Amino acid sequence: MNDAIVVERLVKRFGPLTAVDDLSFAVPRGTIFGLLGRNGAGKTTTLECCIGLGKPTSGSVRVLDLDPTRPRELAQLRPRIGVQLQATSLPEKANVREVLELYAAYYAIAPRAAEMAARVGLDDKLDRQIAQMSGGEQQRLALALALQHDPEVLFLDEPTAGMDAFGRRILWAEVERLRDAGKTIVLTTHYIEEAERLCDRICMIQRGAIVADGTPADLVARYGGDASVTIAADGFTPGADLQHLGTWTKTGEKWKLATRGEPGLALAAVVTGANAAGAKITSLDMHRPALEDAFIAITGETIEETG
Amino acid sequence: MLRMFLVQTKMNFVWYFRRDGEMMFWTLAMPVFFLVLFSFAFSTGPNSGSSSFLVPGIIGAQVLSSGFWGVGVMLATFREKHLLRRVYLTPMPPAVFFASLVVYRVALLVAQATILVTVGALVFHVHIIGNPLEIVAILLLGTATFVSLGTIIGALARTTESANNIASILTVPLAFLSDAYVPIDRFPHAVSSALRLLPSTQFIDTFRDVSVYGQSLAHYGAWIALLVLWTIAGTAISARTFRWI
Repeated sequence: MNDAIVVERLVKRFGPLTAVDDLSFAVPRGTIFGLLGRNGAGKTTTLECCIGLGKPTSGSVRVLDLDPTRPRELAQLRPRIGVQLQATSLPEKANVREVLELYAAYYAIAPRAAEMAARVGLDDKLDRQIAQMSGGEQQRLALALALQHDPEVLFLDEPTAGMDAFGRRILWAEVERLRDAGKTIVLTTHYIEEAERLCDRICMIQRGAIVADGTPADLVARYGGDASVTIAADGFTPGADLQHLGTWTKTGEKWKLATRGEPGLALAAVVTGANAAGAKITSLDMHRPALEDAFIAITGETIEETG
Repeated sequence: MLRMFLVQTKMNFVWYFRRDGEMMFWTLAMPVFFLVLFSFAFSTGPNSGSSSFLVPGIIGAQVLSSGFWGVGVMLATFREKHLLRRVYLTPMPPAVFFASLVVYRVALLVAQATILVTVGALVFHVHIIGNPLEIVAILLLGTATFVSLGTIIGALARTTESANNIASILTVPLAFLSDAYVPIDRFPHAVSSALRLLPSTQFIDTFRDVSVYGQSLAHYGAWIALLVLWTIAGTAISARTFRWI
């Protein structure tokens, strides 16, 4: 009961294609859970099975202790969840205010059009028609529609795809606000920065299966590899006093230190050592492992940065 | 529930009617255009004989296309644009969404019929002499029949384009073969007898006889029963095959 969502051994096939292959995870209430993977990894299909848009080939899904594949339980679930789909299409002739009013009627709540528009930065566009809005603006309206009835669980499918920096900031701030309000959020993304910043826990998905999961810090510590300091300096060779920091290798003119310690401290020690030896530093670089390093190490793939 | 229905219906009018001037114009002008065109094409001038045949015939054909295009193709379009999928995620019952679409189409039909009857009376001296309640009853039954059959198009067509094609293939020939624009008595007896098996012929003939010829609906029991059967069959097939996603 402490888990808002429990997915067990989920398999979803479309003809010969296996989109989701034996996937299991649980999302504790009040946490933000990220499904991270490339396009086509099976993130959206998994999410669709949680909200009643797809029927699992096998395995089970429970959301708020309800089974979305059973029509009666799905009916109970609908008012308690909010969904932002990747490609939400709204009537072209409708304006922002009308869509929010209509969805308020769908959920039998008092319309809060002005308030919701303000929350997603559309307060000056209440009378703007859908057809005249950018893709990013439509995505922000889709978020407002997912939030208006104050659901317990939110499903956000690639919420910032196609958004500009402004839209992304608004969405991130809203997700952080919802986390503080104790909501449970499942989001899919192929933006590593987004997953790292927002998620309490991340599942990395490749070809429909989980290849790693944990907190962002956890994944980086386990799979991100060593931190490094790279230095090029005339007349510099790492002496005995710098050997305890880690492993040194030389490529061309550059010395690279791989360290498991805090790279900032290692950097300071290396610079002090070089200065003490009277070496003139020509280039200096520090790399702290990030989620992207973990992702590449785990999947053997880089993630594409296009939406 | 009532508020859902009222808000959705209001929005249908605002979005599809008030904000789409071109569509509104053609929807209302087309029946009048047909009346004028066919009145002159099929006779030597405005005479009440052919015009009183045409006014109910054109209204009947509009009922057909309301069901096939206004509901069937519209639903396929909504599905293809992922609009149905979004609505499916909300607590609104499908019946409410469907009902408000039908109410919107019926209101359009009433507007079309009013204009057509007015022009028919003023220009072509066509007079509606039937019992108003019976006229409304047969119109509602016909609408139910063709909405239920049209929904099958919306259920089975995978894309807007195929729904469009199916609706065209059905609507245009049916209008000419169902006593709407041309009397089917002109065909050989065997052909016209066969054409009377079509629900569209049964509906249009009954509607015409009741409205402009002042017949009593009570004389058309068999056809009414058949139309009811078509409606039940159409509704059953639609309900079984309709997909939101």
